[in-house]
Amino acid sequence: MVRQLTRRNFLGFAALAATAPIFEVKPLRGVDFILQNSPTPQKYLIETMPGGVALFDYNNDGLLDLFFVNGGRIANPLHVPEKFDRGNSKYWNRLYRQNRDGSFSDVTEAAGLAAADNGNYGMGVAVGDYDNDGYPDLYVTSYGKNVLYHNNGDGTFTDVTTKAGVAAAGWSVSAGFFDYDNDGHLDLFVTRYMDWDSDHNKICGGDWHTYCPPGVFPATTCVLYHNRGDGTFEDVSERSGIAVKKGRALGVSFADYDADGFTDIFVANDGMQQYLFRNNGDGTFRECALESGAGLTSDGKGLSGMGTVFQDYDNDGRPDILVTELPRELYALYHNDGQSAFSYQSLESGLGALTSGSSGWGIGLEDFDNDGWKDLFVAQSHVLDNVEKIDASLRYKELPLVALNHHGHFDRVDSGATSPLAGRGAAFGDINNDGWMDAVITTLGGPPVLLLNRAGGSNHWLSIALRGTHSNRDGYGARVQVNGQTRFATSAGSYACASDKRVHFGLGSAEKATIEILWPSGQKQVLNDVRSDQFLEVREPGRS
Amino acid sequence: MIALLLFGWLAGQAGASNAAQHLQAGLNARNQHQVDVEIAEFRKATELDPRLADGFFNLGAAFMEKRDYGAAIAPLKRALELSPDLPAAHQLLGYALLAEGYAAEAIPHLEKVGAQDALAIAQLETGQLSDAVVNFNAVLAKRPDDPDLLYYLGHASGLLSKSAIDALISAHPDSARAHEALAENYFVLRQMPQAEKEYQEALRIRPDLPGLHLELGQVYANSAQWPKAEQEFRAETKLQPGKAEAAYRLGAALLQQGKAQEAFVELKHANDLKPDMPETLYSFGKAASLTGDAATAEKSWIRVIELEKDTSLAAQAHFGLAGLYRKQGKTDRAQHEMQEFQKLQSTIGPPRSE
Repeated sequence: MVRQLTRRNFLGFAALAATAPIFEVKPLRGVDFILQNSPTPQKYLIETMPGGVALFDYNNDGLLDLFFVNGGRIANPLHVPEKFDRGNSKYWNRLYRQNRDGSFSDVTEAAGLAAADNGNYGMGVAVGDYDNDGYPDLYVTSYGKNVLYHNNGDGTFTDVTTKAGVAAAGWSVSAGFFDYDNDGHLDLFVTRYMDWDSDHNKICGGDWHTYCPPGVFPATTCVLYHNRGDGTFEDVSERSGIAVKKGRALGVSFADYDADGFTDIFVANDGMQQYLFRNNGDGTFRECALESGAGLTSDGKGLSGMGTVFQDYDNDGRPDILVTELPRELYALYHNDGQSAFSYQSLESGLGALTSGSSGWGIGLEDFDNDGWKDLFVAQSHVLDNVEKIDASLRYKELPLVALNHHGHFDRVDSGATSPLAGRGAAFGDINNDGWMDAVITTLGGPPVLLLNRAGGSNHWLSIALRGTHSNRDGYGARVQVNGQTRFATSAGSYACASDKRVHFGLGSAEKATIEILWPSGQKQVLNDVRSDQFLEVREPGRS
Repeated sequence: MIALLLFGWLAGQAGASNAAQHLQAGLNARNQHQVDVEIAEFRKATELDPRLADGFFNLGAAFMEKRDYGAAIAPLKRALELSPDLPAAHQLLGYALLAEGYAAEAIPHLEKVGAQDALAIAQLETGQLSDAVVNFNAVLAKRPDDPDLLYYLGHASGLLSKSAIDALISAHPDSARAHEALAENYFVLRQMPQAEKEYQEALRIRPDLPGLHLELGQVYANSAQWPKAEQEFRAETKLQPGKAEAAYRLGAALLQQGKAQEAFVELKHANDLKPDMPETLYSFGKAASLTGDAATAEKSWIRVIELEKDTSLAAQAHFGLAGLYRKQGKTDRAQHEMQEFQKLQSTIGPPRSE
C-alpha cells in the first residue's frame, strides 16, 4: 500500500508538473453552427437538454466530418402540437465536410439534411452502417420523432424513417447502433427521457423559476429496434424485456461486460437508479443493475445519470462504466470486478475530489496522451441556467474536465479551454489524423468547441478500423485488445453523441503491438508485430 | 389556549357559591350551561348590590365562558377592587387581558396565581424572553406533549437566540463571536461566500476559538471544496483533540477525496471518542471497505443496522454489506442484504440522488 501511494503521489506530482495543456482550443474553420436551444421564461425542460455531435467520415475520404443536431425555435408559450420552425435555416441540423486543409464546408443542403421536420426539436445523433453498404448512416433523435438518414454513398442522405420503422415518439435523447444478436446487422437502441409535452410542463424553484427535476414528470421506456437486414427494423422493446423497466433515460453505452459474447446495455437514468440490461443471448435482456452493483451510489442512492461510457479504464480487460452527474454527486465509476459484479469506485479512482462540484454531460475515456491508459474527458455545465443565483457555490458554465489516468487513478490537468462553457455533447476522434485523439463539444446557445490535441510527447499509437465480414461491417461490439489494453468497438456512448468509430490505442514507448480481436461473430483474430503509429484496417477473416 | 384554561377553572367553581338569590340563580344557570341567563342574573345581582364582589366576579366569569373577554375585564377588575385577594379573579382577569392583547397588564395577575402557561405567553408577548422560556420549560415538564406549549417554547427560544445575537452584534460588532454569528446566519441562508468571509474574519481575530474551524470546514464541505474542508477540520482536531465530531468530519472529508487510509484512522478515532454514533460507524465502514478491511467494514455496518434498524442509514448499511458480500462471492448473503435494503426502501422511500 505504501509503495502504491508513493507511486501515485509521484505520478500526481508529475501530472501537475506538466504545465502544457493536453488540448488547444482551435476554431472550427468554416463551421458557423450555433446550437439553438431557444430558452424561454416558461422553462420548458427540453431547452436545457440538447444537443449532439457526430464525428464520422460520411464520404469515406479518410477525414472526419461533423454533424450537429440543432434544437429549434420555442414559442413563448408553446402548445401542443408544438412547432419548432425547423424549416428556418437557423434551426437546421448541420453537416460539415472536412477539407484537406482542415477547414470545413457546410454541405447540409447538398446532402439533403436541411429542414428537419417542424415538429422535431433535436436532441442527439447515432452513427452506424445499418445496411452494411460501407457508408455510415445517421439516426437523429428528437423531442417529437426520430429520423433515420440513409447514406447514399454519393454525398447525399435519404430520410428512410418511415420505411425503416424507427421514428419512435415522445422525447428521445441518446441512441446507439449495436448488434445485440450478432447476426451481422446493426440494431438500434434509443433512450427516452420522460413522458412530457409543453402543455404539461411545470416550473419549479419557487421565485427562482427553474427547470424542474426529472422526478416531477412521469417516467417512460427506452426503445430497442431489431434490424431485419432488409432495410427495416422491428420494435422489439416489449419482447426483448427492455420496455419492462420505465426510467428517465439520457445516455446509453454498450459493451459485453460478462464476456459471454453478447453486447450488453448500460442506461444512464436521471435522478434515479441506473439500468444495466444484461443480454441473455436469446434476444431478450434482463435488467440487473442493482444485483450487479451498477445501479446506485455506494450509499445506495440514485444518481442524476446523464452521459455514460462503457470501457476498460484500468486495463484489467473488463469494461467499466462511468456516468456523469450533477453537483453534490460524484461522477459514478462502476468498476467491473468480474463474475458479473461491479463496485462503485468513484472515491478510489480520484473522481470524488474531481467531480463533486461539477455537472457532467458528454463523457469519453480516450487515451489522450497515448501512454496506454485511457483518460477522462467530460463536457460540463449545470442543468439550470440560473443556478448561481440559487447556490453561489455552483456555476452554470464550467470548463471541461480533463483528467489523466495514472494506473487507474484520475488526476486533473489543464484542458486548454480558458472560458467556461455551457457544455452538453462531447464526441471524440482523431480529427487531423495525427495519431492523437481530439474532442468536439457542443454548447447550449453557442458554437461548438474543438479541443485539438497538442500531440505532446513521443508516445506511440495505433488506430484500427474494423472491417467486419461475418460481423457487422464496422465491427461494432468487437473486443479489441492491444498490448494489454481493451476497447469495445462502438461509436456510441457519451451524451447524445457519436464518436469516431476507429479504435484508438496509445502504446506508450512500444513501437510494436499485438492485436487480438474478438469479433461479434465469435471469430478470434491475432496480429503480431504490428508497427505502431499507423492507421490500420483489419478485416475479419473468413469471408470476402 | 385561554378557553382550555378557563374550562378547567369553571368546572372547579360550579356550585361553589353561596350568594344571594340572583347570584344563586346565575349559578344554577351555569350548571345548565345557560350563559345568557347567567349573565342576566349576575348583572341583576351586581345592580342590586354594587359591593357584591362575588356578583362581579361571576359576571366576569360568565363573559369569559361566552368568550367575550373584552366584556369580562370590567366586572373582574371591580371584583378585585372589592376583594383584592380573590385568586380566581386574578386568574380570569389575567386570561382576559392576555386574550385582548394587554399582556403587560395581565402579567401581575397571572404571577399572583402562578398560572405559568399563560404567564409565559404574556412574557413572550412582552419580550421577556428568558422568563418565558423558563416558564414554558416548567409547564412542559408537566405536559410534555402539548403542541401549543412546544410551539411557544420553540418560538420563544428562537426569539431569545436572535435577541442575544442582535445584542452581540450591536454591542461588539468587531468581535470574533459577532462574525461567527453572522457566518452562521449566512450558512443557514446557503450564502456560502459570505459565510466563508465571516468565518475567516472571526478566525483572524481569534484563531484559537473552538468550533470556528469546524464550522468553516462545513461551509467548504457544503460547496464540495474538500481539500479546504479537510484543512479546517484538521485544524479543529488540533484545537479540540477530544471532539468526536471534528474527527468524524475530517474523516468524511478525507473519504470524499479518496484518502481512504487517512480517513480510516480519523473515523476510528472519532468512534473511539464517541462510540456507537451511527454516522461515524457508517463512514468508518466505508473507509474500511475502501482500504480492503472487509471484516471491519462488515462489523461497522452490522452495528449501524443494530443501532438504526429501519432508517435510511440502516438501508445504506444493508446496501454496503450487499456490495461487500458480492465482492467476496457470497452471493446468497449479498442477495439477502439487497432484499433488506429494498425492503427498507419501500418503507422509507426510493433511493434518491443526493
